[in-house]
Amino acid sequence: MLKGKQSWIFENHPVIQSTGVSGGPFEGNGNLAKDFDILHEDLWMGKTSYEQAHRVLLEEAAQTALKKSGRSADDAQFFIAGDLINQITPTSFAARDLKIPYFGLFGACSTSMEGLAISSFIVNYRGAKNILTGASSHNAAVEKQFRYPTEYGGQKPPTAQWTVTGAGVALLTENDGTHENCPYTTSATIGRVMDMGLIDPFNMGGAMAPAAADTIEAHFNDLGVDQSHYDLIVTGDLGKIGRDSMLALLEEKGISIDQNKCNDCGLLLYKNDQPVQSGGSGAGCSATVLYGHLLNEMKKGVYKRILVVATGALLSPLTVQQGESIPCIAHAVSIEI
Amino acid sequence: MTNHKRIFVLFILMLLVLAGCEDSSPSSRTALFKKVDPAPLTITKNPDQLEQILVDQVKEEASSVKSIYDVAVIKGEKEILVAYKVKHMSRFRMKGIESDLNKILSDKFPDHTFTVSSDYKIFLEAIRLGDKMKKPDFSEKKADKQLKKIISLTNELT
Amino acid sequence: MAKKKKTPQQKQYEQLEKKYETKRPVVKNCIKAFFVGGFICMLGQFISFLYIYFFHFTEQTSGNPTSATIIFLSMLLTGFGIYDRLGQFAGAGSAVPVSGFGNSIISAAIEHRTEGFVLGVGGNIFKLAGSVILFGVFSAFVVALIKTIILMARGVM
Repeated sequence: MLKGKQSWIFENHPVIQSTGVSGGPFEGNGNLAKDFDILHEDLWMGKTSYEQAHRVLLEEAAQTALKKSGRSADDAQFFIAGDLINQITPTSFAARDLKIPYFGLFGACSTSMEGLAISSFIVNYRGAKNILTGASSHNAAVEKQFRYPTEYGGQKPPTAQWTVTGAGVALLTENDGTHENCPYTTSATIGRVMDMGLIDPFNMGGAMAPAAADTIEAHFNDLGVDQSHYDLIVTGDLGKIGRDSMLALLEEKGISIDQNKCNDCGLLLYKNDQPVQSGGSGAGCSATVLYGHLLNEMKKGVYKRILVVATGALLSPLTVQQGESIPCIAHAVSIEI
Repeated sequence: MTNHKRIFVLFILMLLVLAGCEDSSPSSRTALFKKVDPAPLTITKNPDQLEQILVDQVKEEASSVKSIYDVAVIKGEKEILVAYKVKHMSRFRMKGIESDLNKILSDKFPDHTFTVSSDYKIFLEAIRLGDKMKKPDFSEKKADKQLKKIISLTNELT
Repeated sequence: MAKKKKTPQQKQYEQLEKKYETKRPVVKNCIKAFFVGGFICMLGQFISFLYIYFFHFTEQTSGNPTSATIIFLSMLLTGFGIYDRLGQFAGAGSAVPVSGFGNSIISAAIEHRTEGFVLGVGGNIFKLAGSVILFGVFSAFVVALIKTIILMARGVM
């Protein structure tokens, strides 16, 4: 049901029955290693190119999600996912092997919540019984496309972020009352593209903060709630700078969010001594942290109701070179248990 | 192998390769750094008075230039090699010093052809040739050939 | 390309964001770059001496083999995955000397190996170094032209 200007309410509470999370070596050394189902020792994953390895990450996550529910790929009606690589080929190639009817999405690093929102809507209105949705990214493949060759000795400024090597996939299913202690989605707010004129591709957190602030404000307005409604508000990959900027922006709009209630997937994922500068980023960032760590925490009873705001920077290497600024977007989904 | 081990192995290999190249003559080892101040030489084993005075004078003239601090002179059959070292701060004026020296020598000794060079390599080779000439079995012909080689080295640009 | 005019709202956000942006430690970076760059040049001088001492190179002619040796060493370091860490530490100190030039070429070659040798490696190997080569050669041409004109003018007068 449409609520307010840009939000949906999912009255039938589509259930996240199971998830699959895969990661690379950096994530294996990070804070949330225990919440990953599959961890790889190196970036090649037994393949001959980084792009193929990227595909492996997503395939493994999808297979794990299906296996945990005791289902096979035939049970899923749709596969709704995306990534950062040109023409989202890793996801398309994974869809080829899964053989599930496929929607390819591009929302940059906000793809995970874009997919979850659309999937929840479809399942809520019985357009499907089961949907596989997720997002993924691979550090080396993304660096090669967006920035410099991985072995290049260029110095990254302290505002830069580290692209996560990982994939998170969830199996969303109709709520028939049999799923005890399984999280379910209750609402989603679709974001609009915000551009505050920032042009530095090494400072995406700062560029994405306005989009996150705009979507959170829209969510609170549409649903008529405030921050007390949620135990945790977590953003996808704003990093240190983006998080601080977003909180300041929201303060200016009159929405004050408690620092302890607000966190960021990019900051949660890595330890302080890992060289990630400002924090993690990438389509796989919000997907791996939400579908792994955060849902595990919810099942343990730490959080009952969370709002996940995945943020994406809709730039390309070409637009940066042509002097364009960086437009960004953020999608929010609320999950309860 | 981890990255650290690789660097270490590489370093050891490099050291071994370098240790293999050794140079036996004593004075040429430090010729690049210290002031050697070699005696001016001729390729003839027993130079006559005139020749010896000539090379001594050449050395004196070259040493009198202010920015030059070490000079090696070797006189061959037809030409005289003057290799010199320039004080570090004056290296900026290398070309000027070279043309000055050339002028002084060609004015004072118009009957002889000079080859002057501030290059370290030329100096080093001059010292090495001087050491070799001390050996009794090193013929004049060989010495002259070697001197000609050194002089042709001064003309190489790349 | 003219910069787009920013709306007052955008300018306001820019100021807000600047407060939270981690500033680059410029002085520290400069010092690190100075020492690393100096060390690489010292290494180059040492290699140069080796060539002069043990081989038939003069000071004039030892420049080329020295550059080649340094590029070879930077190739090894790039291949072993060490040069990018050095680059993160030293910044311009490792990027400006010829070893940085070597690293840019070699890293591009390694990266595009999966796309084949002709179009992949061959087509992308000078991705980063191409502009250095182009503008270096062009500016050398311009400067030489200016010098020639000046000398000719002096000769005529």
